Amino acid sequence: MNRYLKLVHMEVDRFKYILAGLMSLTLVCQFGAVIWMTMSAVSYRKSGAWRNGGSMDYSYSSSPTGNLSFTDVMSTTQSIFMIPILLSIGVLAIYVFLIWYRDWFGRNTFIYRLLILPTARRHIYFAKLTAILIFIFALVSFQLAVLPVEKSIFNLIVPSDLRDPSYFSDIIYSNPALGMLIPWHFDSFLVYYGIGIIAVIAIFAAILIERSYGRLGILYAILYLGISVILLLFPMFGLGLDDVNGYLYPNEIYTIELVMCVVVMSVSVWLGCRLISKKITV
Amino acid sequence: MIEVVDIHKRYRGRSVLNGASFTVEKGQITCLIGINGAGKSTILKAIMGLTPLKSGTIRIDGQPMDKNLYESIAFIPDHLTMPPGMKLSEGLRFMQDFYQSWNANRAEELMKFFSLDQTERIGNLSKGTAAKFNLVLGLAQDTEYVLMDEPFSGIDMFSRGLIAEVFSSHLIEDRGVLLTTHEIGEVEHLIDRALLMKDGSICRDFQCEQIRSEEGKSIVDVMREVYQS
Amino acid sequence: MKMNEGWTDVTFNGRDPVYLQVVRHFKEQLATGRLEAGQIIPSRRELGAMLKINPNTAQKAYKEMEEQQLIITEGNSPSRITLDDDLLRSIRSELISDAVDAFVVSVRKIDVPVEELLDIVKQKYLESNETERQVQEGGDQA
Repeated sequence: MNRYLKLVHMEVDRFKYILAGLMSLTLVCQFGAVIWMTMSAVSYRKSGAWRNGGSMDYSYSSSPTGNLSFTDVMSTTQSIFMIPILLSIGVLAIYVFLIWYRDWFGRNTFIYRLLILPTARRHIYFAKLTAILIFIFALVSFQLAVLPVEKSIFNLIVPSDLRDPSYFSDIIYSNPALGMLIPWHFDSFLVYYGIGIIAVIAIFAAILIERSYGRLGILYAILYLGISVILLLFPMFGLGLDDVNGYLYPNEIYTIELVMCVVVMSVSVWLGCRLISKKITV
Repeated sequence: MIEVVDIHKRYRGRSVLNGASFTVEKGQITCLIGINGAGKSTILKAIMGLTPLKSGTIRIDGQPMDKNLYESIAFIPDHLTMPPGMKLSEGLRFMQDFYQSWNANRAEELMKFFSLDQTERIGNLSKGTAAKFNLVLGLAQDTEYVLMDEPFSGIDMFSRGLIAEVFSSHLIEDRGVLLTTHEIGEVEHLIDRALLMKDGSICRDFQCEQIRSEEGKSIVDVMREVYQS
Repeated sequence: MKMNEGWTDVTFNGRDPVYLQVVRHFKEQLATGRLEAGQIIPSRRELGAMLKINPNTAQKAYKEMEEQQLIITEGNSPSRITLDDDLLRSIRSELISDAVDAFVVSVRKIDVPVEELLDIVKQKYLESNETERQVQEGGDQA
C-alpha cells in the first residue's frame, strides 16, 4: 500500500509541469477573455452608444434593460473558454497512452526499474490509473474553482447598477464544454465519468496486450478494443432502445448496459493486472 | 544459488534460447560470454522476470522469482533506466524509498568513488557517467546476487579502470555475480567462471583457473575452439 | 609502505593460472629486493584492488604462498614475508633456473654450440642492460 502511494506520487510528479501548464493556460485564456469582454462591454455602455440607440449586437446582453450578467459574458466568450478545456481533454487522452509508452521508449527505459521494484506489479498498474484520475479531477476542480474567481473579476469591473445577477447552473450551461465537464445531474455525472473511466481502463488493457504479445500484439489490442466497444454499444443500439415495439423495456436494457459496463471494466482490470505480472516484456 | 534449467524462448520467429542451463554460485563472478545477439541479455532479463519464457525454470535459492526476491537480486542493465528528468539525488532517493536492501552509506561511498555530482540531471549524463551511476544504483543494494549486462561496453578507458576496480573490491566480495560480455578483454582476470553461449544454449561451462592449470588454455583459447569450429 | 611501485601495472597472461602469476610476481619482487624479509604485505582485498583481480584469486595466491611458506599469517595480524633466509635465497635461484630452463628448451631445437651461445647471450644481455639504462635516464630527464 505504502509503495502504491509512492508510485502514485511519482507518476503525479512526472506530469506536474504539463498539469501546471494546462492550468496556467486555463487561467490566461479565461481571465483574459472575461476581462477583455467585460471591459469592452462596460466601456461601450459608458460611451453612450447604448442610449443613443446603438445596435444590440454589440451590447453582449440578453437583458432588455441592457444590464450585463456574468452568464452573458460566459456565453459570448464560449470559444476562448473552450480552448483550454478541449486542449486539456486532448492532452489527457494522449497521456493515457504516454503514461505507459514513455517508460518503454527513449534512451532511458524506466519500465525495467518499475518492473523490478520489490512490490506487486499491479501497484504499477493502479498507480498509473490513479494518476490519470487525479489529473482529470484536478483539472475539473481547478476549472470549478476558477469560475467564482472569474465572476468576482466581472463584479469588480462592472458597476453594480449595470449588473444583473447570474446563477451557477446558468453559468455552467452557457458553455457546452463546461456543461459536459460538470453535469448538473448526478446521474449524468456518473454516466460521463463512468464511460470515461471504462475507456481509460480498456485502453490500459489494450496497451498491455500490445506490450505483451510482440508483433501480433497490436492486432490483439485493436481486436480487444473493438470487442469492448461492441459490447458496450450493443445494448443501446442493438436491442433497440428507441424502438417502441422492442422486445425489452428500457429499464431492462439499461440493466444490460450496466452489466456490460461492469463486465468490460472488470475483465480489463483483471487482464491488465495479469499481463503486467506474468506476460509483460521489456 | 541461481539455477537456470533448460530455458527456451522464441522471439520474432527465431529461437533465442534453446535449452540453456547453468548455475550461479554465491561468492563467485560468473561471466556469460557470447557474440552479440546470442541471447545473453535475454537470459538476464528472464532471471529478473522482465520477459516470459516458453519453457524452463529459474530458481533463486530454490525459490521461483517473486517480488520479495527483488530485494536480494540486483540488476544492472546495459543502460541507465531512470527517467531523464530526475536528478541523481532524486534517483538515489527513489531507490531508498522502494528498496529495503538499499544501503545509503554505500551509495554515498560509491558516488564519491566515481566522483558523481548529485545535482546533475540523469538526462544530461555522458555515457560513461551514466554507466557509473547505473553501477551505483545496482551495487548500493545489499543483495546476495548482482546481474550486470555488458558493464564495460561503450565506456572510455579511464572509466573502465574504475569499474574494474569495483570488481576487485568488497562491493563484489561474497556476492554471486553474473555478468555478460561479448569481449572478454577487461574481465579475463576478474572472473571465476566462464559460460560460453552458442545457438541459444551454454556449450562450455568452466572454472577459469582450472582450465589454465589443467589444460594450459586461456579463456580466449577456449572461445576460439568454440566459435571458430 | 611503498607497495604501489611495480604493482599497479602488472600484466597477466591468459594461459597461466592467475594466482600462480601473482605468486611469481611476489617472488620476483623478493628476488630483486623490492620486498624484504619480514615485511608486511597488503591484505587480500588490497592486493585484489591493486592488481585488479578478483578477491577469490588473491585469496588463492595467498594460500599458495602460505603453503610454500613464503608468507606467514599468525592469527588476525596481517601476513608478512617469511624470515627464513634459506628459503628466500632459494627463490632467486629458482627464478633463474626456471628462466634458463625455458631458454634452454627453446634454443636446444637450433642445436647451437654452447660457446657460441654463451657469447651471444653475453652480448645481448649487455645490450639490453644498456638500453634499459638509457630508457631510465631518458625517463628521468623528462
